[in-house]
Amino acid sequence: MSKTDKIKILYIDDEINNLHGFKATFRLDYNVFVAIDTNEAKAHLDKHPDMRIIFCDQRMPEKTGVQFFEEIRADHPYPIRMLLTGYADIESVIDAINRGHVFRYIKKPWTDVDIKTAIEEGNKFYLANSMLAIKNEELQKAYSELDKFAYSVTHDMRGPLLSILGAVDVARNMDDLNEVREILELMDKSVKKLDNFIRSIHDYYNLKRGELHITEIDFKDVTRDQEDIYMIAAKMNNIRFTTSVEQSEMFRCDEASMKIILNNLLSNAFKYQRKNIEEKFVDFSVEVSKGRATILVKDNGIGIHENHIAEIFNMFFRATSEEVGSGFGLYNVKDALLKLNGEITVDSKIDNGTTFKVVIPSK
Amino acid sequence: MNQKKLNFIVVDDSKLDCFIAEKIIRNTGMSDGVLSFTDATAALSHIEQVPTTGPSKTIVIVDIQMPLMNGFEFVEAFQKFPQTIQDQYIIYVLSSSINESDLTRVRNYPSVKHFLNKPLTSNTLSTLLEWV
Repeated sequence: MSKTDKIKILYIDDEINNLHGFKATFRLDYNVFVAIDTNEAKAHLDKHPDMRIIFCDQRMPEKTGVQFFEEIRADHPYPIRMLLTGYADIESVIDAINRGHVFRYIKKPWTDVDIKTAIEEGNKFYLANSMLAIKNEELQKAYSELDKFAYSVTHDMRGPLLSILGAVDVARNMDDLNEVREILELMDKSVKKLDNFIRSIHDYYNLKRGELHITEIDFKDVTRDQEDIYMIAAKMNNIRFTTSVEQSEMFRCDEASMKIILNNLLSNAFKYQRKNIEEKFVDFSVEVSKGRATILVKDNGIGIHENHIAEIFNMFFRATSEEVGSGFGLYNVKDALLKLNGEITVDSKIDNGTTFKVVIPSK
Repeated sequence: MNQKKLNFIVVDDSKLDCFIAEKIIRNTGMSDGVLSFTDATAALSHIEQVPTTGPSKTIVIVDIQMPLMNGFEFVEAFQKFPQTIQDQYIIYVLSSSINESDLTRVRNYPSVKHFLNKPLTSNTLSTLLEWV
């Protein structure tokens, strides 16, 4: 076990010999920090928020161990507190439990076994406790997402369905075939919107629940796949689509997450184009070097207003009514990047275009 | 039924829903004109800047969930307009929302006449026009 993996333990005692003895006995098994007074102890705690267990002598000249524990409890609630004392009077035991919330009370002189057992027990308690805190936080987040989700699903899924229902009703009374064709075209868009939304939910769920499958990524293949998908859209809408790949080293990543990122950024680039300009383009480039892939997706489309840039990665946020967006795409991108330890930055100007830059480290 | 011709404004980010509303409104034979907006801010500035014509009120049908400015924000902004402008319009909220808190919120806006469920049908519209 390397030093960094060892459990961090802090021992505070005003007698330097005790500190030396403690450290000599336990430094092989644990990462031991010692402090001659409470100020030094606090400095250790501030520097090492992952300190697991604190042993403190009860009788020290400036303050008692119980007082010290009481003081640090607000700022450092997680380390397990244990009190060492040679004077086991009942008052200080009661104090230790009620005010200092100590986990164990150890009599001086301690034996190695006493301390070791206490550490192992304390560590178990610490792990269970911190796991509970983490799980609670995750649960809280999941609940609030579920709330948002349930609310938006009623709109984003019912919306297109009700539109189609309304259109069917109107189309029944139409005699003009051209009018019927026009409404069919709009119904088609509504169906695609719903399909798009359902696919995004699928991506979302895969990202939330899916494990990463790390494989070697050849960006030439990945790019060719994307070209196949978007070439038709590019031709149909008269958009110049250029791609470039520079990869001279191996890159390892989860391919499914990578695809979600590229797909969403590219489909946005193609979707949010300005209709009335001549030279529409989407540039896609990947460069892999020094263990990192840098991906640029650049367009000269409608751009994002600066007031909205901070919000575009939020779930269900849509910055425009121009096109059919689910408000899910960039949220999924951000989620995927979180799993890959990647980063994304946006540079956009309204009526000018948008560039997304993604940097992902190789796994 | 009131035989005066009416003007309509439809505010919905879905082009299909605007199209449907326009069709249904025209089919009633009671409309003098329908304007639709996919962006609520554009509809607001139209209401603020372009005076209404004729003696009748203009009927505004607005969706709740829209990007940029939603139906609630639209109504709140509308209620800040001078009373003389507000008096020329009747607002209906049309939505696919089945969320109780949305419905309650709509009811609390004094300027909103009624909440309508999507999709808009000719039946609903005729009923609604009988009240005008």
